[in-house]
Amino acid sequence: MTEPEDQDEVPEHEEGGGTMLLARMAEAVYWAGRHLERAEGTARIVQVHTDAHVDMPVGEDVGWEPLLAIAGVDSEFAERYHAAEDPDDVRAAEKDVIEFLLHGEGNDSSILASLTAARENLRTARPVVPREAWEACNNLWLNCNDHLVETHSREGRVQWLRRVITGCQCIHGILLGTMSRDEAMSFLVLGQNIERADLTTRVLDVRSDSLHLPGADDPYDVVHWMAVLRSLAAYQPFRRAMPARPQGGSTLRFLLQDDRFPRAVGACLTEARAQLKSLPHAERTMEACQNASMVVASASVARLAVGGLREFLEDVQLALVEIHERVDDTYFRPNFVGWEPAAATR
Amino acid sequence: MRPTAVVRASVVGDDGKTASFGHSRSGNTLATHPTHPWGTLVDVDVPVDPDAPPTGVDPGAPAWPSYDPAPFFDELVGPTGQPRPSAEELWTHLAGLGPTALAERQLAADREIRAIGVTFTVYNEGVGVDRPWPFDIIPRIIPRDQWKVIEAGLVQRLSALNLFIDDCYHDQRAVSEGVVPADLVTGSPNFRRECVGVDPPGGIWAHICGSDLIRDDEGFWYVLEDNLRVPSGVSYLLENRMVTKHIFPEMFRHYSIEPVDPYVGRLAGTLASVSPSTGDPTIVVLTPGIHNSAYFEHAFLAQQLGVELVEGSDLVVLDDDCVYARTIDGLEQVDVIYRRVDDVYLDPEVFRANSLLGVPGLMRSWKAGRVALVNAPGAGIADDKKVYSYVPDIIRFYLDEEPVLWTIPTYRCSDPDSRAHVLANLPELVVKPANESGGYGVLVGSQASADELATAAKEIGDDPNRWVAQPIIKLSTAPTLCDNVIAPRHVDLRPFTLMGPDGAYVTRGGLTRVARREGSLVVNSSQGGGSKDTWVVDAEGFNPFEEQPRADGANGL
Repeated sequence: MTEPEDQDEVPEHEEGGGTMLLARMAEAVYWAGRHLERAEGTARIVQVHTDAHVDMPVGEDVGWEPLLAIAGVDSEFAERYHAAEDPDDVRAAEKDVIEFLLHGEGNDSSILASLTAARENLRTARPVVPREAWEACNNLWLNCNDHLVETHSREGRVQWLRRVITGCQCIHGILLGTMSRDEAMSFLVLGQNIERADLTTRVLDVRSDSLHLPGADDPYDVVHWMAVLRSLAAYQPFRRAMPARPQGGSTLRFLLQDDRFPRAVGACLTEARAQLKSLPHAERTMEACQNASMVVASASVARLAVGGLREFLEDVQLALVEIHERVDDTYFRPNFVGWEPAAATR
Repeated sequence: MRPTAVVRASVVGDDGKTASFGHSRSGNTLATHPTHPWGTLVDVDVPVDPDAPPTGVDPGAPAWPSYDPAPFFDELVGPTGQPRPSAEELWTHLAGLGPTALAERQLAADREIRAIGVTFTVYNEGVGVDRPWPFDIIPRIIPRDQWKVIEAGLVQRLSALNLFIDDCYHDQRAVSEGVVPADLVTGSPNFRRECVGVDPPGGIWAHICGSDLIRDDEGFWYVLEDNLRVPSGVSYLLENRMVTKHIFPEMFRHYSIEPVDPYVGRLAGTLASVSPSTGDPTIVVLTPGIHNSAYFEHAFLAQQLGVELVEGSDLVVLDDDCVYARTIDGLEQVDVIYRRVDDVYLDPEVFRANSLLGVPGLMRSWKAGRVALVNAPGAGIADDKKVYSYVPDIIRFYLDEEPVLWTIPTYRCSDPDSRAHVLANLPELVVKPANESGGYGVLVGSQASADELATAAKEIGDDPNRWVAQPIIKLSTAPTLCDNVIAPRHVDLRPFTLMGPDGAYVTRGGLTRVARREGSLVVNSSQGGGSKDTWVVDAEGFNPFEEQPRADGANGL
């Protein structure tokens, strides 16, 4: 873990360069980054939860509600499905939860809704993203729609979720391999990392309920922590970084403060700061980003493991919201008063 | 496939509400549009003897493909049923593939088009639905020597039309010297008073023209329409070629096919050449938005050009009369706008006040020479059915040349001799009101009842100025895959011509549109029309221009 670096203060943004980025396009790529990340992240979480679920002894499992909480759609789900619920079984049925998370009506954060939104945003942003990236996203969206009916079975669902995860990875790969490191790319990566950091905190938040922190010797504790790590694609990187048995403290430290694992909150914020350096007028957003980094870096994981994790994660989430709002304010809804027309002086 | 019954060319109008492709007048919501080939009211009754033996089929040849385009001129197959020399390789190849392999390749093409997201939007009851672009894998072939004539003819035509537009907004010499009547200019709904006296760079108003060409039953070429406002289709032309390269890669070894890709570079050059600034120009494409039926093309072109795709709300005109784009770095000046928004929506301060698609002050900026608009506002004055009939005279007047390409003979009923001819031959003619845009009052002689003919004759007699008439053209056909069978279907061609102060460029070939229903003349994609890749190849063969007497009869009526 590292402290926010001082050189953040000096933006590296260069004026001019022949290209410009419309505010509307910047917003579209930013949201494309967020929605792609949300689709992939949700797919991983559902996938891993299903795997972990089958490991648990009957009656010991945590049910399917945590998935709704991670996605932040518990109340939307209740609205849709509560009436139909069997009074004898108060727990949400697997089938309903999965359907809701994958493509449920009324769930704007479902995997399919996220892919649809990503596709729409990339379509708007076609002029500033590589053609192949748009095509890959369009193709993924078409495939996911074509095979939606197969998700009713567990095997079909596994395939479908894998398709989403590899499809999103394919798009990221195309972007990394073919897109100029321009301002549009910065907004895309910014959106991606804010969403990633948010998702990681939500996974930790919800799982912290069902997790036994240090001291307990519940044999399924390890299963829980492994599931947390796996749902963030963090299991192997964690093992390599901290070859200890996964347990509360070390896992928390890794997922919050590691600066090298790309889904750790700290690393996401470092990446966001790096992107902001290449953007104009980034001072206020950079300040919010540094603040969030500080909150995360200065946390005492040992103390959090004993108590106050939920409150702490809430602080981090609020800090992320603040970053988003400043991005939105500065770039997408700019009030041009006081801004010098960039090209007016030529 | 040999027709065994009367072939009745269907008559379907270009419904402005559902039109999606190539409809350059988004302001129109017209039931019919008589000047498009797919909307031209043409009816051809062709008696076919069902017992006649198939012609031109070698008894030893494989039964597939059996193909007989008679009585129309076919682009690939000659009257004997044998492929034209330029199409021999292709035809042999298609025959060798057989119906199953060909159907598989069509499927592969459809899949690719769907995956890469080539779409057009169809509006039905106000709801836009994106449909995959309809594409027929069998290309159309045009020999290069023929194309060179067409190219020269298109450049000639656009040069003359630009001189005409410039004249309309300045001295109106064409009027004072009696080439066209004054009413043709100042009485036109497309005449924009706001443009009078404006001098766009090089005197070019129409920088991008999408012409509609058709061929008759003898293979002679005609210009059917000059689309000078916001013609669409070039993106599909480029994408069709890309898909064809993936579907028939082997054919590109057999043919030396003129590439179509250079269009984008030429377009960029044309746009840059009209920039009012001296530095590197900032160019944008202006779209009505994601819900516009041609949005795919707008985004495609912006992407290919490497420029921003803006909507009206992204732009602002300040007190210095300059146009600025709202970027993440504040306002940045824009030099050239390739606008895909119709004139009347461009600037609510000047045209329709309720337009949300435009930019207040844009006309002020353009007139002050602070920004270039492509095509220039007012260019539509020359994209008009009435003007169409004068184009041969316009070419002679401004260029002192004979027209290279034919205009469909158009009888102006104001002329007593023409009127007499029209009245005597009404059943063989299409009669159109000259002053009205859209298909109102169009009468197809061969379809009309005796009463309707009598009414038309009376109306022509009462107000001859209002009417023009044209002969009915039997469109050429091209082999098209229909339900796994290769069958003749009617086609037209839309090439694109660029014109700037530095020169002109014509796409090599164009977008071939095909009516997929048997006998139909409707090539509009929103109405079931398809498209084909068009190959300009180095090959010899029948050249209609060697037989087609230049310009004779083009307008000499």
